[in-house]
Amino acid sequence: MSEKLYAWLLRLYPSHFRGTYGDEALQLFRDRARDEKGFFPRLRLWLDLLFDATVSLPREYLHVPSPRVAAPAPQRLNGLPAFYVFQNESPRPGALLSGGLLSLVALTTCWVSLNQVHRSASPAVSQFAGAQNDRGSSRADSAQPAPGAAASAAAPPAAQAGAMDPAERKRVLAGTIANLKEHYVDRDAAQKMADTLALHEKHGDYNALADRAAFAVLLTRQMREITPDRHLTLDYFQDPLPQQPIGQTPEVLARYRETMKQQNCTFEKLEILPRNIGYVKLNSFPDPEVCRVPAMAAMTYVNHADALIFDLRDNRGGEPAMVQFLGGYLFDHPEYWYNPRENTTEQSWTRSPVPGNNLADKPVYVLTSARTFSGAEQFCYDLKMLKRATLVGETTGGAAHSGVWHRINDHFGMGIPEVRAINPYSSNDWAEVGVEPDVKVNAADALETALKLAKNKLKKN
Amino acid sequence: MPKRKLDPLPSTAFQILLALVGEDLHGYAIMRQVAEQTENRMRLGPGTLYSSIRALLEEGLIEECDPREDARLGEERRRYYRLTSAGRKLARSEAQRLADLLRVARAKKILRGRYV
Repeated sequence: MSEKLYAWLLRLYPSHFRGTYGDEALQLFRDRARDEKGFFPRLRLWLDLLFDATVSLPREYLHVPSPRVAAPAPQRLNGLPAFYVFQNESPRPGALLSGGLLSLVALTTCWVSLNQVHRSASPAVSQFAGAQNDRGSSRADSAQPAPGAAASAAAPPAAQAGAMDPAERKRVLAGTIANLKEHYVDRDAAQKMADTLALHEKHGDYNALADRAAFAVLLTRQMREITPDRHLTLDYFQDPLPQQPIGQTPEVLARYRETMKQQNCTFEKLEILPRNIGYVKLNSFPDPEVCRVPAMAAMTYVNHADALIFDLRDNRGGEPAMVQFLGGYLFDHPEYWYNPRENTTEQSWTRSPVPGNNLADKPVYVLTSARTFSGAEQFCYDLKMLKRATLVGETTGGAAHSGVWHRINDHFGMGIPEVRAINPYSSNDWAEVGVEPDVKVNAADALETALKLAKNKLKKN
Repeated sequence: MPKRKLDPLPSTAFQILLALVGEDLHGYAIMRQVAEQTENRMRLGPGTLYSSIRALLEEGLIEECDPREDARLGEERRRYYRLTSAGRKLARSEAQRLADLLRVARAKKILRGRYV
């Protein structure tokens, strides 16, 4: 219990300190807790720790980490303010105390507001990913919410837009049938599904249904009774869908490039942790045409690590090409890379071995959360199936988005698979069920667990 | 010549250098040694200890040795730290500076007792 409390206190320290000395600080706490038993020694220990945190926290936040100890992604620092100390004398204890308290308040405020900003900013980013995806005819629009979102977004539909009337229901049904016949990869199955839906309508099975979300769920189930394809969906969205998907205009591309530049292609953090464990925190899989060089630089940075951790806990997916590109570093020969969005072709093998790469035989850990989505799940799924990585964390979100998106009206749309990708592992991938981790722990504890696993593994070798 | 980060040498850093004279120690052993040599007046918390260790490492005053176990404390491997010759030199000159100060204090008879 008290160790957990101290681990929580340690989280207040900046990541460069935790990355380099977090384990040792915790070890020191364990040592003292073991040797200082009893009420008064324990009280003194905690007073020491609290005083220590008050004194050392502001100092750590003012410290500019030296690249030898912990190097964050270099581009990440561009444009960010840096802090230098002009005075070398130690501040008075009173100043330190008030400084410490003020830092705590400021950090908490920053953390809360960043979370808010992140929440409101994420739809724009996903839409961007969608815009990128529209280039390939067989690629799905990843801007579409998860299938599960349809039901949750629908409450209460009657109060929002009134109940669905028969005319609207018929239009949606006709749209569904037309799209199925025109686009579904298996023509016979498409015809059977269309006939079944038409028959249900004829028998009046939908007459009592006024709830749009329930209608979408029912039709999806009835289509899948004919062909058990989890990539085939009819979705209802409470907010009106855009008329046209955003095209690949030069302005859109320029904006995307600028966003990627500002976000260092979403490589949030690169570090070499103690025991020479490489750590890559990646928050999307950006377009390799824009981000190939930063991606190569990131992999070069961790090239001499003895083990590698990919942190995908905040990764919402992106371009399958980048998923495959990064996957290529983990093999010394071309491996079949399953992608439900593409037909199986000679492009479906990784470009391994990557010249100069040392990571092909190193232990790999991938950190997951319930927010790990779409392309990030492909990375997890393929590495798990190929037994090339240990997944640590939570079951992923379950978004495959491998059907091509077709808008039916302002509130309904369909995901329809138009390609047949060979899945050598199982008839189902992660669509709707997510990827199960090998080691199930809370996302917040995933890094600590993976580090322990990696250290044990390296000790044995 | 650029000003060194540890100039003047903070007392924490000086105590750590003194603790490392004679043997290589890991973090917890340094903490205990410092407590012992200051008669428990200075108990270094992890934040202060490791930020001082980092500053000393960056200045080349101490160095890291290969991690190994401490048989008295269990099987966990620990990072050990060693005094470098630059660290020893700095500790000596700091001790000399304090001895000079002490001489002045003694001459001005502000110290009680005979043995200081």
